[in-house]
Amino acid sequence: MEEMIEEDQLDRQLREAVPYIDDDGFTARVVSKLPSPGRAPRSMRGIILVGLTAMGSAIAFAISGGRFVNEAIMRLSTFPIWILLVFAFGCGLIVGACAVIAAIRKTPEVRDLSRLQS
Amino acid sequence: MPLTDADLVARVLLDDDHHAFAELVRNHQSSVRGLLRNLTRTDVALADDLAQETFLRVYKNLRSFRGEARFSTWLYRIAYNCFREEARKRKELVGIDEERLQTEQDPQTVDPALRHDLMHALSLLPLPERSAVLLCCQNGLSHDEAARVLDIPLGTVKTNVLRGREKLKRTLAAWGPS
Repeated sequence: MEEMIEEDQLDRQLREAVPYIDDDGFTARVVSKLPSPGRAPRSMRGIILVGLTAMGSAIAFAISGGRFVNEAIMRLSTFPIWILLVFAFGCGLIVGACAVIAAIRKTPEVRDLSRLQS
Repeated sequence: MPLTDADLVARVLLDDDHHAFAELVRNHQSSVRGLLRNLTRTDVALADDLAQETFLRVYKNLRSFRGEARFSTWLYRIAYNCFREEARKRKELVGIDEERLQTEQDPQTVDPALRHDLMHALSLLPLPERSAVLLCCQNGLSHDEAARVLDIPLGTVKTNVLRGREKLKRTLAAWGPS
């Protein structure tokens, strides 16, 4: 028991013997040596991807003179309503599945990081 | 509310956020520099160079950090590896210097002004014991975490801590008033 108290005291003394070291420009020196970002951040990449998709769609629409959109709407209007519902449900399933796959791919990273908090 | 290490690491990984990384450096610079100063026996310039190298390696390898250990444990491991590589380059750090200090600075002949100077007593310990005592007793790592940092078996860490503590106590007792 006495030995344990002695050890605790020694540990405490050791911890207290180390003064806090002032940053004194250390962080700035480290940050100045970091490589500059080599690629656009993810949020930027998302914006670029959406922008390119929109631009491609606009070009396709302009080249076809808008006909393919009109034809697609006309064709859809002839379909029975239940087929449209099934089609919408199927689209929802596909988008949902993609979202789940994306989430699972990201989960280990997030899970590992969250362990840090414990 | 201040951001946790996990939040900061996530920001660096997701957006390559240099501000978040700077915050990580600010949060840990004192403990890393302190550890390296003790390992290099208060060679401040060398310790700071190694600390800088440590944080640059942390930045480069942050993606390999899986969060299985605390961020500080991972950080100390990189710091210790930096020190070990440097020590291999400068043999005198762990070889000649070690012997010289062991013989020249015998606890019995130390200047009385250095009594109760724990840091000095610590610097007299051999490197394996010093590293184990620094990590476990001073930086508050568990034996298991210290074993990961030092890349040695758990039993060896426990032995080194025990021996280091004993030697510290003996050294301090020898310096103390008779």
